[in-house]
Amino acid sequence: MTALPTDYSSLIRELQHRAALIRQPVSGVFELTERCNLSCQMCYVRHSARDLAQRAKELSAAEWLRLAHDAADNGMVFLLLTGGEVFLRPDFFEIYTPLTRMGLILTIFTNGTLITDKIAQRLAEAPPSLTEITLYGATAATYETVTGLAGSYARCCAGIEALLKHRVPLGLKTTITRHNVGELEAMQQMARNWGVSFAGAWMLSKRRDGNHSEVEDCRLSAQECVSLEATDRISADEWVETAFRDSSLNKDSNFNCQAGKTAFVINSSGEMNPCLSLSQPAVRPLDIGFRAAWEGVQRFVGDAPPPVSTCRTCDTRSYCPRCPAWSAMETGTLTEAAPYLCDIARLRKEHYEGMQGLAP
Amino acid sequence: MQNVGGESLLVPIGARVVDVNGIIVLNDTARCVWELLAQERSVDELASAVAEKFDVDFANARVDVQTFLDEIAHLQALQS
Repeated sequence: MTALPTDYSSLIRELQHRAALIRQPVSGVFELTERCNLSCQMCYVRHSARDLAQRAKELSAAEWLRLAHDAADNGMVFLLLTGGEVFLRPDFFEIYTPLTRMGLILTIFTNGTLITDKIAQRLAEAPPSLTEITLYGATAATYETVTGLAGSYARCCAGIEALLKHRVPLGLKTTITRHNVGELEAMQQMARNWGVSFAGAWMLSKRRDGNHSEVEDCRLSAQECVSLEATDRISADEWVETAFRDSSLNKDSNFNCQAGKTAFVINSSGEMNPCLSLSQPAVRPLDIGFRAAWEGVQRFVGDAPPPVSTCRTCDTRSYCPRCPAWSAMETGTLTEAAPYLCDIARLRKEHYEGMQGLAP
Repeated sequence: MQNVGGESLLVPIGARVVDVNGIIVLNDTARCVWELLAQERSVDELASAVAEKFDVDFANARVDVQTFLDEIAHLQALQS
């Protein structure tokens, strides 16, 4: 018998590898709402907390629990609850509390600003394995420039303190933008002071729904990304980086991550997709059953056309983080090159091969 | 008990999540014992079942069973 921490990444990777061989949908994401109380310009979802049309589309607590039981019966063990902002849902604990009795490894993503002492106390009764709060700055001025909501920095810090007080497992991360990159080290120091982990993601995509995005006003330049990455001050996004590492293995395969092999997402209106960044194939497990929906997602991934030939033959391919979801959000196709990522790949190649003396 | 890719896992629930802070991967013997523990059984009963199933002698089986029971008792994974 071996007891290992749940963040022991090699164990989790090995379990995912074994699950992928039998296409076990071991990792689920429930996007409980697409609404958020913050208004971050760079967000790939970005619906207002008061968006009644969005709210009307959201599944009920009973529907989420039915999906959870169906998914668990089909092999789901890891479940991420995310949004939008999950604590906007007044019925959050009607969903969460029954989930804690199902033997699932639960994670919650939140911005922390709605976490009161009472909410932290309720979470502590049956805590998730991890609560991840995204920190948008180390000062109120920067944080609120990103989130667009006065007072949100203090409320986020209060949420963090409440979770720590009640011993709810907590990690911090940040979404790095032009507006907060200057406070990256200060945010890391905040995490150290609180005694929690910290990670950063800087690959900001356009909106998933194809609506107008202001992300290009927020993104770091490709050069800034590569420089930041090279200084090892941040941890790159794990999903994208997993795809990045594996993409050189199969030139014709488009999906090179766990999406559709072990992982699925159900969005707020009950559509199942391979990952959070894709809105296809939008199969509906509540209508056709979980197993049929999961098979639909597998087919979508398995039948996906290969990347365009310019990508397949590109000499920076092994440095490129492009995936079908990124192509979808940047170009509207599953296959086309995303120019922002082309620039990152080219600069990565120059940087890393230059370091090894391989560059011309 | 959960199964991921053919591996048997124990996942803590409730307030135990904080104290265990991990998952427990069961080997074949541990899985056998865990399944038998759905009903109350003596250590000797468990050891006999393990000895028969895995074709090992009773004394060694009893040591393995006791080790497993001690570990899960430490993790407070059992309720009587």
